[in-house]
Amino acid sequence: MLAVDLAGETIRALNGSMVAYDGQMAFKRQGMTGGEGLRGALKRRIAGEGMTLMEVTGQGTVFLASEATEVTLVQLNGDTLFVESESLLALDGDLKTGVHFVGLRGMGTGQGLATTKVEGHGVAAILSHGPAIGLEVTPQTPLCVDPHAYVGHLGQLQQDVVTDVNWRTVLGQGSGESVQFRYQGHGLVYVQPAEREGILEI
Amino acid sequence: MRTPTFNATTLPSNDNVNAYSFSVDLNGQWFAQKGKMIAYYGQIRFEALSAGPLDALVAANFHSPLYAHDWIVAQGQGKLVLADRGFDVNSFDLDQGNLTIRAGNLLAFEPGLELKQSIIPGFLTLIGTGRFVAASNGPVHFVEPPIRVDPQALLGWADCPSPCHHYDHSYMRGALGMARMITGLGGSSGEEHQFDFTGQGTVLMQSSEAVMNEDVLLRDLEGQIGMVGVGGLQRLQQTITQRLTAERQG
Repeated sequence: MLAVDLAGETIRALNGSMVAYDGQMAFKRQGMTGGEGLRGALKRRIAGEGMTLMEVTGQGTVFLASEATEVTLVQLNGDTLFVESESLLALDGDLKTGVHFVGLRGMGTGQGLATTKVEGHGVAAILSHGPAIGLEVTPQTPLCVDPHAYVGHLGQLQQDVVTDVNWRTVLGQGSGESVQFRYQGHGLVYVQPAEREGILEI
Repeated sequence: MRTPTFNATTLPSNDNVNAYSFSVDLNGQWFAQKGKMIAYYGQIRFEALSAGPLDALVAANFHSPLYAHDWIVAQGQGKLVLADRGFDVNSFDLDQGNLTIRAGNLLAFEPGLELKQSIIPGFLTLIGTGRFVAASNGPVHFVEPPIRVDPQALLGWADCPSPCHHYDHSYMRGALGMARMITGLGGSSGEEHQFDFTGQGTVLMQSSEAVMNEDVLLRDLEGQIGMVGVGGLQRLQQTITQRLTAERQG
């Protein structure tokens, strides 16, 4: 659960995530374009990266939660955070969102071809099944992550898919870890201690 | 609240990262259950147990054809982070000991340990010296026999003889009368069946009744169907049909 103190500012939060508030709050569903402009909305529609946010404005404290999952706060100082739209709980009003095409990456995990990017200065709250941990990536220590445990990433990272598919995988005797994301560069990757269900089990 | 952040050197070595994940400092080989790896640094490869070069290792340490399909060997050098469905994760050390654990809850173990199938369906026994990692839904509780444990809350046991089944008298009567079973009337408390532990040792329990899935139990049952003749199969079919009808009405 996330408590946000507001003093006249505006934040954006997942539609329907408010569980309680005190003070004066106004909730407004964002229009068709979700604050990303007509072009952004179109891109989102094409990408199938659905996301419905509402605007919360007022004085007081608002409590946000979604399905009893854990909340991780990410401070952005002009960096870009990449996260699945379904993992986004709330954003500072100043943060901009957009769609980022990732290509093949999302295929195996049933998350589609695109991911949501958040940029600007402020705090973003992301959801994870179990408390997320951040794992640093440096050029000397690249990191591999199970696609099902991936939550989001931050910084100058290059992402590629490592496959270890061989004839045994085809026979159904694979190692169960045949597909991984590998991150190289400088940045931080958030992982959760649980594996979400994918469409494709590899 | 800041998210704990680690890198390749600050990740704990063979210890918990937090209550829900465990970091293995891999230098050689570990057995791991499929799909429990969430991230790793370094050069690590994952091989199915059927991989040729692993023959000697598997022959020496893995004696469970029923579960071989669920296990892999991680080999190489680096830090390997394991987690399971957001469950609590703990590591235990065995020193010339033996411990039996629910198959779905065992995440990984060192090759110093030998894995065997327990007589109780759905459980695996580890024998030898080394470390293993296991998951539980909620913290683990250690209790001493004599004790009766709900089968779903049982995580495993160490050093004591295998348990036996215990049924309450009222359940027995129901089973004998059959009327209750067939009609489904009268219901049950869901607590008529326990595992009964006696002797010296330790029993491990989890504080919830959530278990992996029925898959393991099903596979066990399927494995035994081969021993049943045509008459037995027909009877099984009848029982299943009755149960399904009762479920639909309920």
